[in-house]
Amino acid sequence: MALVGRSVPRADGPAKVAGTARYVDDLTRPGALLGATLRSPVARGRLRGIRRDPAFDWAGVTVVTAEDVPVNVVALIEEDQPVLASDEVRHAYEPIALVAAEDPVRLARALRALTPEIEPLPPVLTVADALARKAQIHGPDNVFATYRISKGDAAQAIASSPVRLTGRYRTHHQEQLYIEPQGMLAFWDANGAHLVGSLQCPFYVHKGVKRTFSLDDAHVDVTQAVTGGGFGGKEEYPTLLALHALLLAKKSGRPVKMIYNRQEDVEATTKRHPCEVTIESGCDREGNLSAVSIKVLMDGGAYVTLTPVVLSRAALHAAGAYRWEHVAIEAVAVATNTPPNGAFRGFGAPQTIWAIERHMDRIARELSADPLELREKNLLRVGDTTPTGQFLKESVGVQRCVEEARKASGWDKKRASLGAAAPTRPVSALLRRSAPGSSAPRKARGIGASVFLHGAGFTGSGERRLKGRVAIDMLRGPSGKKPLFRIRTASTEIGQGTETVFRQIAAEALWVSMDRVEFATPSTSVVPDSGPTVASRTVMIVGSIVERAARDLFARTENERQKGGGSFDDAALRLLAGKEPVVSEKTYETPGDVVWDDETYRGDAYPVFAWGCDIAEVEVDLDTFETTVLGFWAVQDVGKAINPLLCKGQIEGGTLQAIGWALNERLVVEEGRILNARMANYIVPTSLDAPRFTTVLVEDPYSMGPGGGAKGIGELPMDGGAPAIAAAIEHATGIVRDDLPLLPEDLFAARRTGT
Amino acid sequence: MRIAFVLNGKKRALDAPPLARLLDLLRGPLGLTGTKEGCGEGECGSCTVLLDGVPVNACLVVAGQCDGRTVLTVEGLGTKDGLSDLQDAFVKEGGAQCGICTPGILMAAHALLTANPQPGEGEIRESIAGNVCRCTGYQRIVESIRHAAKERASRESG
Amino acid sequence: MNPAELALYPFERPATLAELCRTLSARAGRRERTVLLAGGTDWIVERGFAPPENPDDLPLVLDISRLPELRGIQLAKERAAIGAAATFLEIRSHPVLLRRVPVLTAMAREVGAVQIQARGTLGGNLATASPAADGAAALMALDADVVLASVHGERRVPLTQFFTGYRATRRAEDEVIVRVEFVLPRTGAHQAWRKVGTRAAQAISKVALAAVAEFERGRGVRAGFGMASVSPVTASLPTVRALALAPSLASVSDEELDAATRHDIAPIDDIRSTAAYRTHVASALVKAFFRELRAAAGS
Ligand SMILES: Cc1cc2nc3c(=O)[nH]c(=O)nc-3n(C[C@H](O)[C@H](O)[C@H](O)COP(=O)(O)OP(=O)(O)OC[C@H]3O[C@@H](n4cnc5c(N)ncnc54)[C@H](O)[C@@H]3O)c2cc1C
Ligand code: FES
Ligand code: FES
Repeated sequence: MALVGRSVPRADGPAKVAGTARYVDDLTRPGALLGATLRSPVARGRLRGIRRDPAFDWAGVTVVTAEDVPVNVVALIEEDQPVLASDEVRHAYEPIALVAAEDPVRLARALRALTPEIEPLPPVLTVADALARKAQIHGPDNVFATYRISKGDAAQAIASSPVRLTGRYRTHHQEQLYIEPQGMLAFWDANGAHLVGSLQCPFYVHKGVKRTFSLDDAHVDVTQAVTGGGFGGKEEYPTLLALHALLLAKKSGRPVKMIYNRQEDVEATTKRHPCEVTIESGCDREGNLSAVSIKVLMDGGAYVTLTPVVLSRAALHAAGAYRWEHVAIEAVAVATNTPPNGAFRGFGAPQTIWAIERHMDRIARELSADPLELREKNLLRVGDTTPTGQFLKESVGVQRCVEEARKASGWDKKRASLGAAAPTRPVSALLRRSAPGSSAPRKARGIGASVFLHGAGFTGSGERRLKGRVAIDMLRGPSGKKPLFRIRTASTEIGQGTETVFRQIAAEALWVSMDRVEFATPSTSVVPDSGPTVASRTVMIVGSIVERAARDLFARTENERQKGGGSFDDAALRLLAGKEPVVSEKTYETPGDVVWDDETYRGDAYPVFAWGCDIAEVEVDLDTFETTVLGFWAVQDVGKAINPLLCKGQIEGGTLQAIGWALNERLVVEEGRILNARMANYIVPTSLDAPRFTTVLVEDPYSMGPGGGAKGIGELPMDGGAPAIAAAIEHATGIVRDDLPLLPEDLFAARRTGT
Repeated sequence: MRIAFVLNGKKRALDAPPLARLLDLLRGPLGLTGTKEGCGEGECGSCTVLLDGVPVNACLVVAGQCDGRTVLTVEGLGTKDGLSDLQDAFVKEGGAQCGICTPGILMAAHALLTANPQPGEGEIRESIAGNVCRCTGYQRIVESIRHAAKERASRESG
Repeated sequence: MNPAELALYPFERPATLAELCRTLSARAGRRERTVLLAGGTDWIVERGFAPPENPDDLPLVLDISRLPELRGIQLAKERAAIGAAATFLEIRSHPVLLRRVPVLTAMAREVGAVQIQARGTLGGNLATASPAADGAAALMALDADVVLASVHGERRVPLTQFFTGYRATRRAEDEVIVRVEFVLPRTGAHQAWRKVGTRAAQAISKVALAAVAEFERGRGVRAGFGMASVSPVTASLPTVRALALAPSLASVSDEELDAATRHDIAPIDDIRSTAAYRTHVASALVKAFFRELRAAAGS
């Protein structure tokens, strides 16, 4: 029947297209109040009090402040963030108090009737100020985390290289802008705390609630509602929102629903970390790379959240998809008084991949080499070792990605025929005033490439520590004849197709049709902790546990069949007739040869990497510097595509987010406040901005991956888009940009200053 | 104010504040939560419904302006067990991922195909340019709409 | 942003223009505030971001979106009259406008996206008086007149004089815009609409140029320009207009065009763009239009 490898229609599709899928704002409970948040207007200050307008009629309005919070910490990696500010306010929009009321008008007015009284303190707004300790806002030195990776002797090797190049590459904030804003419905009953919400990681919320309210496992239930996109934005933040809704529910004695509006969502929730990367490299005149030294500097915002993990992934991807004999990487994340940055698809890697890919183009420029050839020459291969000393023993499909991308895009021809015809031709020649009546070309075309990798699963010993679990139940079917199977996992469906892919994997291993495999709504009282839905780990890691549990049930049933005869279903029914429920629960087993040392940052950073090559063809209007993406080729090694259609959908969606990051999106932050927290001015691509994608799946299987070799690809497509676009713009116009974004104003300014 | 209109083919009348947003009427008293709110300012299109057959943002239309008119929402296209051909195409061709933008996009696409049964890719893209999707990169959406148009044409000719 | 309070505003739907004018006049006399509601694509959005100043004294909202006297597009004797409540969608699909006034239909097609075009009206675009208003820029290039009505009858204000400052117009409190009127450009007139927005659709203009130029035996006889987002009000580019009417276009240099454009605009840095970029693009668009004119003249 071969379900794996087929583009079966997504299981949650019919409910979504019929409008019957229930997102959190579509749910309510009898007597529910609406909740809202009072936030800090300033980036830093001392909270002196909260004034309640005495003229306002407070009847029926619930107000919660820090005093009402049992344990005032948000339990994430560290416990530095309060649920509600009580003393020092550390960023604009930091929650200060909560309000609940019967209806939205009362709610809006009650919120306006509260005024935080804050004595401003000088804020630390930039990374430079944080490092200079303009004020002490975190620990002794304002540093959240530092990582070092080293292999060989980079400094010495660079010094003795014939070609030494240095560059500095900056990337900016990015807002996830999932179309469904964050929301949570909370209530209490005799069994404790209940939450239903838009979220990626039910057990993160679970942990936070247990900590703040000092509850045990059994008294907290967190259920995922159908979730309208996450992209990392609903990874750690929902914990805070859940705590807020629960506090209001507790104090009011009523269920409470909190739904952020768009502006609040953009202002208050986490974003991609801005980053600055300095690269120094050494190679020979033929373009054989030998050594690289990289410094990564990240702005973590006001609280730790997931910053250390993001920083670690940034460092681990900083040397790119290339072979370097000598590597030195130092990565530092600092605190500033800006809204906390956190998880966003790619998780640090897009920032450092941007840098290394722009640097590869710099080397190509210096050597007058074809940028794709230079990359090909230095690609990692099976048998090579990465900067952490990880030996690549299989599934390195990057060479094939490059070959396919080169072919599909017509690279060779376009590289020669498009662009600033001769590489040495000065930009000004292109922009020279045309004589009256002449029809000088006002548009320039170019093509550019990027090559990248993305480690699938948690970094280092993460999976080993986490021990993700999945259970599959065998259940009596509705007719009593055909047994059903139910997958219980905390991995959530957030649009990426978890439910469909898991059902495919399980059905295939059980030799049953897909309609006999159900997917339990992720609820912490029903599903085991499979770990969070992050880090491109869902299909590859959790999917492999699903596969093992399904295989186990199949083997048990098959065993029974051989003993007692009849069909598979007969045997299954005999098993179900027993007293014990028929269930298989499996725990992730890290392959024995994957070893990692957290102290030295050496070993197998990831079980395996997914690889990709992106090629962009652009046209730049030389009058207005608007960039149109004419074509985009995304060729990615996914190991094995369980569902090619869903897989391509992931790649296209992720790639457009990367293109948007480069060409449209720009978060304007002044004095720690966000000036464009609206969809009208935080600009993401529309259908008319998006290119036509040619998406090619390369399959170089990973021996431990489910379905015959699948690797995690959720984040990979976010990595290569921006540098490919920048390279294409450079080819078209000669404008070299080392910093994101590439808005028309940026290209115009770069053209003028010649930088 | 008493507001009477034809909603998904049925006559409805209800008392509502005249300046209540159509979006809130649909999702609240009328119980039709298929229409979504993504921005409340006309930018995202996830609240798109058809007013007298034309796509509008239900977050920018007020109750008083709907009196005497017809409104079509995603619930009026088909049901979970009886999907319209367009809805079905979105399931088959991967036009929906997280699905929050999908009802709005279906309405814009429905209006397009009603007016222009065989649209080109450019026309398809233009018709959904007021509907932001952050998940798909749009390509599967365009394919879904194209697929529905093709199926219709082959049904009519066959 | 909380649009909930919107539901509290009082609302009426006048049946005729006369009734509307009477209500406006009576309320103005009593110093009561009134809001005219057309497509709501400006006013409702603004309500979401600004709570009512005084929740106990909300203005009366009058729905004019279906007022017969404000609807429709009339063409007679080479003149066009477009009702203030005509939507961008109606404009962009009007067969005669498509043929004779592409500057207008192209503009309408690039407003927001179809949902906004279906609701947004020309009257609302002019009354909001945003410097970014695309409709205002196109109508400026057509040298349109704004026709206002009140209990005292109608009066006509040339669009070039209609805007008095950032988001301010000559419309009196008891007046309503009923229509705009302009002379149809003669057949063969050069018309251009070029919008440089924040993205390909659903975009507000960073700079937009509307231009109309009519020639008689190679000599410019009428030229109209309108430019969005380069000054506190829609720019009519008077100096550039004069150059378009120069005896010989070939003698107009790019340097002169740059200088004229710079003279006619006063762009600023804002959330969408920078003054430097706007200055550059404004000049570039003007020069591009002149290149087209020269090319046409030369052929
Ligand atoms: C997502 C989005 C995209 C947009 N894109 C564009 C764009 O690309 N280009 C552009 O120019 N604009 C754009 N706009 C702004 C808006 O759509 C236009 O300005 C539109 O023309 C406003 O018309 P309306 O009928 O909706 O005005 P309304 O909101 O109904 O009214 C606006 C103001 O005008 C007054 N008014 C309305 N009609 C009259 C009248 N007849 N007489 C006197 N006063 C009147 C009202 O009292 C109110 O103060 C966009 C808006 C949104 C939400
Ligand atoms: S909610 Fe109406 S357009 Fe976004
Ligand atoms: S499918 Fe998620 S926003 Fe479109």
